[in-house]
Amino acid sequence: MSTHHFCNELTALLPRLRRFARGLTQNAADADDLCQTTVERALVARGQWQEGTRLDAWVYRIMRNQWIDETRARSRRAQTFVHEDEGANVGVAGDRDAENRVELGNVDRALARLPAEQREAVVLVLVEGFAYKEAAEIIGIPQGTLTSRLGRGREALLKELGEPA
Amino acid sequence: MSVTPEELMALADGELSGEAAARVEAAVAADPTLARRLEAERSLRAALRGQLDPVADEPVPAALTALIARTAAEDSAHGAPETATSAGHPKPAEVVDLAAARTRRDEAEKARKRAAKGPRVPIFADRRMGFAIAASLVVGLMLGAQLHGGSGPITQTSAGLVASGSLARGLDRQLAAAEPAADMRILASFRRQDGRYCRVFAGAATSGIACKQDGNWLLERTMTGGPAQTGAYRQAGSAEASLMAAAQDLMAGDPLDAAQEKAAQAKDWR
Repeated sequence: MSTHHFCNELTALLPRLRRFARGLTQNAADADDLCQTTVERALVARGQWQEGTRLDAWVYRIMRNQWIDETRARSRRAQTFVHEDEGANVGVAGDRDAENRVELGNVDRALARLPAEQREAVVLVLVEGFAYKEAAEIIGIPQGTLTSRLGRGREALLKELGEPA
Repeated sequence: MSVTPEELMALADGELSGEAAARVEAAVAADPTLARRLEAERSLRAALRGQLDPVADEPVPAALTALIARTAAEDSAHGAPETATSAGHPKPAEVVDLAAARTRRDEAEKARKRAAKGPRVPIFADRRMGFAIAASLVVGLMLGAQLHGGSGPITQTSAGLVASGSLARGLDRQLAAAEPAADMRILASFRRQDGRYCRVFAGAATSGIACKQDGNWLLERTMTGGPAQTGAYRQAGSAEASLMAAAQDLMAGDPLDAAQEKAAQAKDWR
């Protein structure tokens, strides 16, 4: 594939990449930064993409790994990491988060409360429409692990959103 | 007939087909609890999509499309590797492929190593290397024309691209500390991990890194033009910076100081 073709395909993916970024980060500003970084990395690494494989899955993987790196770096910087079970009102950061979330819809809030590993599974399958096998490859885990995370994430969301679980 | 939650989930996600799908569907049809459950799965999907799909409908920030467009423009302006093989210059294209493939492999490996080290800073290093890769492919293309003339500053040999003519003389004689000659400056001299001497040079037509091997200056990196001739995106200094970064990766220890350089020159860089 020529660089030209690669670039066209990548450009066509941007709306979906932005959606995935939002799903991962749950925050518009973080999502924009993540998109920017992901596109930079994809362009630099374009020689490593193998023709005949799915470009979208390849770029999603770059984005997902980038986000993991990012969140790890953040939790190292700020030790005020709020564990999912401790609710949203722990300490000052928690209070600010709670205020910010008032304006978010129920779905957004429920999604934001999921542990990151469940959230990425849910977003890849339910929103981005990847098959289990593809989603597992993007994350780099066995398919069984993917379905178990997906199941737990789904349970939690259904409970949170008041649907019969 | 029992249906596990996993099977129900798989049905909702479109992962089942044929017999398996039919079996779960039949079970759902016969059991209102399962039916409600499947409905809940589906409404969850709809709710998530309702929340996130609008993001995909937003206009994409111009900065993102511009970032991609710039790469596309660089490659088409300079001749990308892909166009090199398909543009109908058979012989030069072969040369390009040999040199380019090696460069690309090396760069990819370095980019990978750099990327593994940390999150933010390496990205910029990678991007710069990206330009260097593109540029090194370019020079290969342009050299193609000279190879058949035989009198250019660069000659293709079985060992790779080798400096010849004025470039070889400059690499042999010029010192980094010296007044720059009209057509070339030496940016640095150093020893590689394997002990060979290498020199980073910036010339009017070509810049790069050359290493002495079997009496020849083998070109390890090449970029079109000196900093003065580079395109708008590559501002003065960044071409040199990316060469120096590449040199840093090859280097064992520090660059040679003036005395060491003089001594190496006296021994003909052996």
